[in-house]
This record gives sequence, C-alpha cells and structure tokens, in this order.
Amino acid sequence: MSLLPPVSRAGNIYDLGYRRYEGPRLGRAHAVRSLINHSFRTTYGLGRSGRAKAAPIIFGAMAILPAVIIVGGLTIAARFGFDRQLDDAELIGFNNYFSAVTAIVALFCAAQAPELFGRDQRHGVLALYFARALRRSDYALGRLAGFVVAVLVLLLTPMVILFLGRILLSTDIGGAFLANLPNVPPVLAQAIVIACLYGGLAMTLSAYAPRRAYATAGIIALFVLPGIVTGIIIGIGSSTIGTWLTLISPNTIIDGTNSLFFRRSLGEEYFFVSLPGWLFLVSAVVEIGVVVALILRRFARIVT
Amino acid sequence: MPEGTARYPDPVSLIATSGLTKRYPGAITALDGLTLDVEPGIIGLVGSNGAGKSTLLKILLGLLEPTSGSATIFNLDVATHGIAIRELVGYMPEHDCLPPDMTATDIVSHLALISGLPKAAARERTAEVLRHVGLYEERYRAIGGYSTGMKQRVKLAQALVHDPRLLLLDEPTNGLDPAGRDEMLELIRRTGTEFGIAVIVASHLLGEIERVCDHLVAIEGGKLLRSAPLVSFTERTGTLAVEVEEGRDALVERLTARGLRVAIDGSAILVDLVDEAPFDIVRDTVVDLDLALVRMEQRRHRLEDLFRDDPSVAPVAPLAAAVPAAAAIPPPLPPADR
Ligand SMILES: Nc1ncnc2c1ncn2[C@@H]1O[C@H](COP(=O)(O)OP(=O)(O)O)[C@@H](O)[C@H]1O
Ligand SMILES: [Mg+2]
Repeated sequence: MSLLPPVSRAGNIYDLGYRRYEGPRLGRAHAVRSLINHSFRTTYGLGRSGRAKAAPIIFGAMAILPAVIIVGGLTIAARFGFDRQLDDAELIGFNNYFSAVTAIVALFCAAQAPELFGRDQRHGVLALYFARALRRSDYALGRLAGFVVAVLVLLLTPMVILFLGRILLSTDIGGAFLANLPNVPPVLAQAIVIACLYGGLAMTLSAYAPRRAYATAGIIALFVLPGIVTGIIIGIGSSTIGTWLTLISPNTIIDGTNSLFFRRSLGEEYFFVSLPGWLFLVSAVVEIGVVVALILRRFARIVT
Repeated sequence: MPEGTARYPDPVSLIATSGLTKRYPGAITALDGLTLDVEPGIIGLVGSNGAGKSTLLKILLGLLEPTSGSATIFNLDVATHGIAIRELVGYMPEHDCLPPDMTATDIVSHLALISGLPKAAARERTAEVLRHVGLYEERYRAIGGYSTGMKQRVKLAQALVHDPRLLLLDEPTNGLDPAGRDEMLELIRRTGTEFGIAVIVASHLLGEIERVCDHLVAIEGGKLLRSAPLVSFTERTGTLAVEVEEGRDALVERLTARGLRVAIDGSAILVDLVDEAPFDIVRDTVVDLDLALVRMEQRRHRLEDLFRDDPSVAPVAPLAAAVPAAAAIPPPLPPADR
C-alpha cells in the first residue's frame, strides 16, 4: 500500500454511506426514451435558464399567433353572425397554415438544433454518452427524434387551436366536428413531413458544424438558398432545370407535399411545375433518409 | 448481438490486453503491442504525457477501435461486448465534458437515466453520489460557475452514479490545487477500498497515484514498462537519505556494522531500503551516538528508473515522501511537491 498515511481532513467529512444499486437496469430502449425526452425539453428550454427559454417562446408564439388571430376573428364574427361568410373566405386555414409559418419553423430549427448536437460536441459531453451502455446510433437517433417531436409540436399546436376554435365556436358543434375531421389526416401527414425534413436537415447541419454560429447560419442558408436559386434559374428561363430543382429545395418539397395531401393545385408561382405531387413526397422521403444516414455516419466516426 | 451478459461476472481478471496496438492517422503509434493482465484493485496507470494512457482507457471502453490486438474487461471482449462492458464501467474523461448551462443534479441524473436507471432511482442515486463526492448546495447551480475542483467532483459523480464495478479515471487530479488533489485522491482511495469498486487511475504523476493504488502499470511510448504490485516497487528501489551535522563517518560505520548497505552522496548518507527496518535502525543509532539529525528522507528513482529491472541506478530527484519513522524526530522535511 501507499507509504503515506491516508490524508484525513477534519473539515471535510464525506458521507460514508455509499450504497450499491441493486435495482433494475432498463437498457437501451430506456436510454433512447430518456434522450428523446431530454432533447425535447432542451429544445423548449424546459428546466433551463430564462435565456434558453427565450428563442422557443418567441418562435412558438409566432407560430401560434395566426391561429389565435383566426380563432379570435371567428369569435367576434360569431357574435355578429358573420361566421359563415368568414369561414367561406378561408384566408388562412388548414391547407395553407403551414406555408404561412414555414419561415418561423425554419428559424426555430436554426436556433434550437445547435442546442443538441452542437452543445454535446462543443462541451465534450459525447464522451459521457458513448461511455454508457448504448450504441452511438441510439444516441444519434434519440437526439434526432426528440428534436423532430419538438418541431412537430410547434406545427401541431396552432392546428389544434384552429381545430378546437372552429368546432367550439360553431352553433352546430357535432356538425362542425364532422366537417373539420377530414382535415386531420392531411394536417398530420404534412406536419410529419415538415418536422422530419426541416428537423432532420437542421440536426444534420448541427451535427457536422458544432460551432453554434456556423450551424445556425448554415441551416438558414439551407432552407432559403435553394429556393432562391430555383427562382433565379426559372427566372432566366430554364424551367426544366428549375422544375427538377423544386424536388431538391426543402421549401418547394413541402409546398409540393402540401398540395398532394390537401388535393390542392400549387399556387400561381408554381405555374411551371408539371410534376405530380407524389414525386415531392418521394423526394421528401429520400432526403429524410439521406439526412438520417449522414447523422448516423457522423456519430459512428466521431472521435471523442 | 449477445450483449445481455451477467451483471456481476466473476472477476478472474480485471483487464487483459494482448498485443494491443493503436495507430492514429499520421503514423502516430499510441499503443505498441501492449500485453497486460491485471487483477481487481486500485490500479495506477502511469506514464508521461503521450505515453498512451488515455488511448488505452478509450479502447477499453470501446470509444476507440484498436488497430490490432485484443482486450477484455471482466473477461468480456471489448470488440464484441461493448455495451455489457459499459454497463459495468464508469468513465471520468481527462478533458472537460460537462455542459456549462446544466446543474450538477440535472446532468448526473440525466446520465443515470441513460445508463438505464429508472427515474426515481436515478434521482435518488444522483443525490447520494453528489453528496459522496462532496457537493451540497452547489449542485443546484449551473456548472459554468464551478471551480475546477467542483467540476472534477461532478465528473467523478457521473462515473459512479450507475454503481459500476470498475472506474476508469483519466487524470482525475488535473487542474486541482494541492488541497483539491488530496481530497480527490482520498475519494478515489475510499471508492476503491471501502466500496469494493475496482479503479484504474491514469496519471503522469507517479507521486500522486502511488498514494492510492496497490498495483502499478507503467507504460511509455505505448509499450509496457512494468506491471507489478506497488509493494514490489518500494521494496526494491527505496533509498533513505540521512544527513547529520557531524559524526557522519561514525554513523556510516555503525550502520554498516548493523548490516545495512550504505553509500555516501555528498553530505548525505544513503541507506538501501530493503524493508522498513532501516528507519528504526537509523533513528536508534543517531540517538545512541547523540548526533544532531539535519534531514532524513526517503528518495525515489526517477519514473523511468523505477520501472527498469536494474535497481542499482543512481538515485535522483527525490519524489517527496514522508517517512513514517521520522515522526519521532524533529523533521525538517521538504514541502511535498503535490
Ligand atoms: N485523436 C488523435 N489523433 C492523433 N494522435 C493522437 C490522438 N489522440 C492521441 N494521439 C497521440 O497518441 C499518443 C498517445 O496519446 P494519449 O493516449 O493521449 O497519451 P496520454 O494519455 O498517456 O498522455 C500521443 O502521441 C498523442 O499525441
Ligand atoms: Mg491522457
């Protein structure tokens, strides 16, 4: 044993009662669930400082605001008996709500995705995860899924407000429920596509660019630039290339799937696009697949 | 995959490696055919910076893949049983690994969940291990405001929270002041001895880990220098340096007569420490001869010398060490360099 007498410090009496843990160990599935939960909470700043809550609160409020205004408008209209007319006007409804808040969703992703993969890498936390009883892919997919669920909640909350508002403000609640019900499947489908595509792209960028500023700038660029490039190319007359580019650019992909799910033709700016809606869905699925593969690859190779 | 193995395997061998080699890109050989077999205990892994200590720990955890060779922990192969191994192991990395905006409680309990503990157990054990490492009210504050010492404690706590059978600690005293080092070493010693958790402590400071470990593994340039119980090192290599005001020759004569191997080095008399006996003999002889003792201290060889098989290498630069027998004599011992 040591030649030196053990150090004893009267001022520091540590708790002697270290106890064995004899309870269950719930394994990888539990670890992944915990990661999803933690990622979701981190994204919304739950249990974190006020500063960490600022961005999710601001973007969350902005995403919900149109729904609140519409429901408020419906309330006032109902009072004066104009609700039928307002309903028919369909300024903003289920089928175009997401298009209206896409920019906000993009900003939310740009601000919050680096809080997960970026933070774990910058501060060396990865070593603590990878030294535990789970696979690297469990970590990567758990974090990703938690963020996708967070984006999904951001997208669906205003839809729930809109749905409940329309039904509860109606004079015929049962009828309104049945009338609005057909909107649910396309809303869910479109929300899932946006959450997976935008959330996945943002997480990929933040996995490869641990520095926050780079990741945020990269994510915004990724959401905005392809659309602009597509527009320019179409503007200078090459509608063939432009048409194919709409299948790559994330914002045109979700416009395409929106028209597919809501059986609605693409708006005027899409006069050039003769592509069938399902092709946009295929593109979305392919892009999401690529994104997941890139994230898995990143964390399989990273040296901690 | 056959990941579900027994929780408490019979620890015939704690870790065993065979021809373990790790080459990093750029022709850096961090581990060079390392073959090793150690039994449970508190194992000190010593070697200068760049010796390959961190690389070895990471390979054992499955954080890095070896270029060639194999390794086992508790007889589980690191190449195929990574998850089962990591369930049994707690790891304290060398570098910063804590998110500054989380509190100690939050990160440790989160990591307990990741290790598979149910929610209530995670919360309970987090409170226990944080108390165990000496963090109290601070544990509800963000880690960003912690001192290095407090961060090191949190790092140790997260390694312990899932009650591992083996702790891998990489330079646990890094960045600590002398008092913090003493406390960390004491924590490690107690964890290893009182709680029955095997410990591997990597450090470039032999003087530190020899205070807590019972087995030393020395590596240099990715190669094994020596692996042996600590006792065998001190038996072979200790030298007692004695200085008296006058009467040196008389003392040498007496000590030699009593069967000690004695050499003269400047003003000091060097006595070979085969066991603890010379301490008492020297003290008694000094008292008998009524000499004034200036200094009596144990000298060590330099790290590399320590691990050579030839113990006759000249003693150099004493690694400060207190001498138990010196307590009876007014001891003008040099301040410890730790
Ligand atoms: N990721 C890496 N890439 C390249 N070389 C590395 C890497 N990590 C460590 N090394 C090199 O490998 C050798 C051993 O390093 P390390 O295991 O950290 O030693 P120690 O922990 O004993 O100081 C050193 O020469 C170091 O520079
Ligand atoms: Mg090291």
